Amino acid sequence: MIVTKKALPRRTFLRGAGTTLALPLLDAMVPSLTALSKTPAQPVRRLGFVYVPMGSDITRWTPPGETALGELSPTLSSLAPVVDDVTVITNLELKNSYPGTHATSNAGFLSAAKAKWTESTDYHLGTTVDQIAAQRIGQETRLPSLEMAMDLVSMVGQCDNGFACVYQNNLSWSSPTTPLPAEAHPRIVFERLFGEGGTPEQRRAALSRKASLLDWVKEDANRLQAELGPADRTKVGQYLDSIREVERRIQNAEQAATERELPDLDRPVGVPAQYADHAKLMFDLQVLALQADITRVVTFQLARETSTRTYPEAGVPEPHHPLTHHGNNPEKIAKVAKINAFHVSLFAAFLEKLKSTQDGDGSLLDHSLYLYGSGMGNPNVHDHTNLPILVAGGSASGVRGGHHIRYAEPTPLSNLHLTLLDKVGIHLDSFQDSKGKVDELLQPLSI
Amino acid sequence: MTRVPRDFANWCAFPALAILGFVFAFAGKAEQPWDSIGSDPSVRNLLDQYCVACHGGHDPTAALDLSVSRTGAASGNADHWEIWEKVVRKLLGRQMPPSGLPRPAESMYDSAIARITAAVDRFATDQPNPGRAATFRRLNRTEYGNVIRDLLALEIDVGYMLPSDEASHGFDNITVGDLPPMLLERYVAAAEKISRIAIGRPGRVPDAHAIRVPPDLTQEGHIEGLPIGTRGGVVVPYTFPVDGEYEVTVRLSRDRNEDVEGLSRAHQLELLIDRERFGLFDIKPPPRGIDHRNVDSHLTARLKVTAGSHDIGATFLKDPSSLLETQRQPYQARFNYYRHRRTQPAIYSLTVVGPYGSSGAGDSPSRRRVMVCEPADESLADACAERIVRTLAERAFRHPVSDKDLAGPMRFYRLARDSDGTDSGFEAGIENALAAILVSPQFLFRIERDPPDSEPGRAYRISDLEFASRLSFFLWSSIPDDALRLAAARGELRSAEGFERQVTRMLADPRSQSLVNNFAAQWLHLRNLDAIRPNMRLFPDFDENLRQSFRKETELLLESVIREDRSILDLLRADYTFVNERLAKHYGIPNVYGTRFRRIALDDDSVRGGLLRHGSVLTVTSYATRTSPVIRGKWILENVLGMPPPPPPADVPELSEKTISGELSIRERLAEHRANPACASCHNPMDPLGFALENYDAVGRWRMLDGGLPIDPSGELIDGTRVAGVADLEKALLARPELFAATLTEKLLTFALGRGVEYYDAPAVRAVVKAASERDYRFSSIILGIVASSPFQMRMPQ
Repeated sequence: MIVTKKALPRRTFLRGAGTTLALPLLDAMVPSLTALSKTPAQPVRRLGFVYVPMGSDITRWTPPGETALGELSPTLSSLAPVVDDVTVITNLELKNSYPGTHATSNAGFLSAAKAKWTESTDYHLGTTVDQIAAQRIGQETRLPSLEMAMDLVSMVGQCDNGFACVYQNNLSWSSPTTPLPAEAHPRIVFERLFGEGGTPEQRRAALSRKASLLDWVKEDANRLQAELGPADRTKVGQYLDSIREVERRIQNAEQAATERELPDLDRPVGVPAQYADHAKLMFDLQVLALQADITRVVTFQLARETSTRTYPEAGVPEPHHPLTHHGNNPEKIAKVAKINAFHVSLFAAFLEKLKSTQDGDGSLLDHSLYLYGSGMGNPNVHDHTNLPILVAGGSASGVRGGHHIRYAEPTPLSNLHLTLLDKVGIHLDSFQDSKGKVDELLQPLSI
Repeated sequence: MTRVPRDFANWCAFPALAILGFVFAFAGKAEQPWDSIGSDPSVRNLLDQYCVACHGGHDPTAALDLSVSRTGAASGNADHWEIWEKVVRKLLGRQMPPSGLPRPAESMYDSAIARITAAVDRFATDQPNPGRAATFRRLNRTEYGNVIRDLLALEIDVGYMLPSDEASHGFDNITVGDLPPMLLERYVAAAEKISRIAIGRPGRVPDAHAIRVPPDLTQEGHIEGLPIGTRGGVVVPYTFPVDGEYEVTVRLSRDRNEDVEGLSRAHQLELLIDRERFGLFDIKPPPRGIDHRNVDSHLTARLKVTAGSHDIGATFLKDPSSLLETQRQPYQARFNYYRHRRTQPAIYSLTVVGPYGSSGAGDSPSRRRVMVCEPADESLADACAERIVRTLAERAFRHPVSDKDLAGPMRFYRLARDSDGTDSGFEAGIENALAAILVSPQFLFRIERDPPDSEPGRAYRISDLEFASRLSFFLWSSIPDDALRLAAARGELRSAEGFERQVTRMLADPRSQSLVNNFAAQWLHLRNLDAIRPNMRLFPDFDENLRQSFRKETELLLESVIREDRSILDLLRADYTFVNERLAKHYGIPNVYGTRFRRIALDDDSVRGGLLRHGSVLTVTSYATRTSPVIRGKWILENVLGMPPPPPPADVPELSEKTISGELSIRERLAEHRANPACASCHNPMDPLGFALENYDAVGRWRMLDGGLPIDPSGELIDGTRVAGVADLEKALLARPELFAATLTEKLLTFALGRGVEYYDAPAVRAVVKAASERDYRFSSIILGIVASSPFQMRMPQ
């Protein structure tokens, strides 16, 4: 396929001054990505989850509108360019996360399950919604799911007292006892997605080299098979099946490389020093992963619970966690809201990129459904009620945007999880404490 | 062929002709030596008096019928051998009759065992059944790493390249028959990466590798391997693929506030290559009101380095004014933000990026190993390439290679040579050929073939080359070296002297370290140490330093037994051990300073010594919050006595409230538990063994009290022997050395063959133990016995 505009050479961030400098991948690349291939007949369904810690100042989060998202709230104002693809849902809760802690905010967000109170290795939660999706829609892609985070520190002895660190660190659990570690290092994420990267030609060459190696393995195995006894012949037969399966994946990857042309991809080497640059890079990697159809399920922890990161770039030099215990001091609350708005703006920029990236008969945003929010409501008191939650994208699956769903009564967040699974074709009767679906999210049956 | 059963006359007495037909059919079956065991008085009396009350009648316990109708002469059951081996095992361990029931006299036990084993062993000598280990086995992760080291003189971080293998029968080299697509992809990717590093053609872009320091490593003191006068940090061997410039970056450990931990005053950090400084930095706390963002942003330096492995390190200069040593004990661990904060900065990670502006492949050990010739001019290139590829393939495939074997790799050589287009085409070709070798099934799989003339049911000796591979994978977890392959090719491995010479040489070789860090690490569950996280409130001084010291002590004890060819019984009775300051403090042993491990002699009244007194073993058999006599008892049954309890039943009954009440001591709680007959049958042998170790807490420290109550270390062996504490327990275990020797033999045999030990291996195990007993159970006598045994030398055809 033809890339209409020349992408900027990305090598710059590897050479030059320091190696820890890595520019966000897509800023300059996106325009060249607009001319993409023709539609695959079936729209691809993708599911993403972005977590922010310690809730949000809910007065500045909640939009004023009752049903339509006409006017945006101060915290959400950066979503204006994509407002028609966003629905805010007010008054969702996580009952199983009580008694209120930071650990259970993170752990409950995608599991809606009760975390076993333990600091030891006998931790127990529930399979998270993203992993239920990965076990189904993730099987069609190279990586069933991708788990990402922003905090490089692996914590020991720094978690909510009484709860093992796994609850606070891991959003995704593939079983009640299997937390999936998230990766915060852009380079490691990149290598999982693209191997060593390079120009499209180099990547194609790497794939075809791999394919020819496999060809030879097949040839060698066939030769071997003729020389062995019956039982071992069966073994070689199974081995040949493996080879064919890997070949199939490589062919898929080669096919995808042709249909979904990506620009030069150079491995990011270090971690950007600035939080915002790091976050943008991580979001860019998600765009690339979705666009190249390497994975269809993504989780991203934008910051960790109890994080005391400071946000001078957003005008908040004070650490996040102590600020959220604001004791209803209006000045402190205003600063918390600034951090909240800053996080939303990073997500908004990501949504814009998804929207400007063509995919099939629409944009990548049309074919991706993202949940953004926190497992904590009011951080001042560690509650799990009236959570800040919004849903973006997914119009190709009949999700309607531009709305504000305001529940009169506290409603389980798991209702939303059930609905999201439904939208990607996984129909469950219930999920943890769910009591139904969020029907309002569906496109009304008209025209 | 048709031998008439001894009691043919009796059969003839049957009047019915119909039965005669059966008799003749039966008469066609050769008499087996065990047919008469059940009628021998020394066995029959014991069975009738002590066994058949339960193991007999309509519903025999455990479906094991030992009554005369089943085990008597001419009951005609083909599975007799297996039953008799079961009986021997239970009698030998004095596991039966169960405690509380009448027991035979010791002499009665011994004569019954002697009678049974004599018959079976005689048969096994005449018609060995060596069993059949899987003949098509993948190199597992550990083996792969070792093979690359030996084939290419290249240390790789195999944990980064391949996923870990699942264990069964206690070892991770058993279930290695398959290679699912996910795994195959990883092996292919590893082959590509390794071939490039080995030949030293740089990748398109600088490569980067981050070394992360374990977060619970205390870095307040000196770290072994770093120069004296330094504090904290990390040093690791790192393989630089080519000569060139590399950039090294250090990040400091941060707390959850993103502040650098322990930074209250200025510190100095230095970067080291092979203990030479190439960077020195000041680290200062930021001025008031400025966050810690830039505190460690300048910790980066470039260096020129030659290809190959170098020790790269980062550490802090020790502050002479720091008087941490004078601080009050007991806490040595400092990583825990809440409870024992770091008082000085620590290193979080070390990142190596490069090469920038490579000056060529250089002269790395890998290239010296691979490039066995160098073409003087273009016309000689292909001949040289073939020599290189042939040498590599012979080592990698563990057998002489035919032209057919070479055709594939050579095709890859030519392909890359022609398409490279630069003057390094030759090297590109070698790299490509190497990648092809490393993905070949002949490399990835260990394959043993039945000879064409093998007869079903008749064991045959495996080929010399297959034997050489078994030897090297057993003793080195790696491929045979040239000397071993040569010995095989010359037929020198056929004679006992021949393979003994090789075994002695191989045990003396550093590669046999795999018996410690691969075999024994699995046998003794040392691998689990990494996952052990004792509760930080109860055991606040547990950290990575202690974990490493635990492992090292046990490894050094094993090494001393192997290298000095000591008796394996020393593993249980050693009057010496190995400690450094960290471990000595933990154990309460005075006057040991520094990070270096040294051997110390122990007094008779010392509570340290053998494996049962090692912090490693005592910790991996405990829970995070307390000791577990159950797990410790099970560990002893499995790994010392060779009597693994059956897995817990599916319908484990609920514990009553009283049993789990926190007010009772563990001993009382477990006694309550064993009052339930459903629990007792398995826990009676287990728990009382573990009680004898109760003087050691969940991290292996000696204690006299638990929760204010005095410890009661009295326990009991399965045969009813009462013991009071660890010394008694060891004495009782050592009183039956053949049990421990048999257990270790079975574990080694499992590891060596890559299959579980079966009843038909029992004669071979007994032979090994018997021969070893005449040589004081020296380690080499066990190994040589296994190597000489029929399961190791032979195989049953399909």
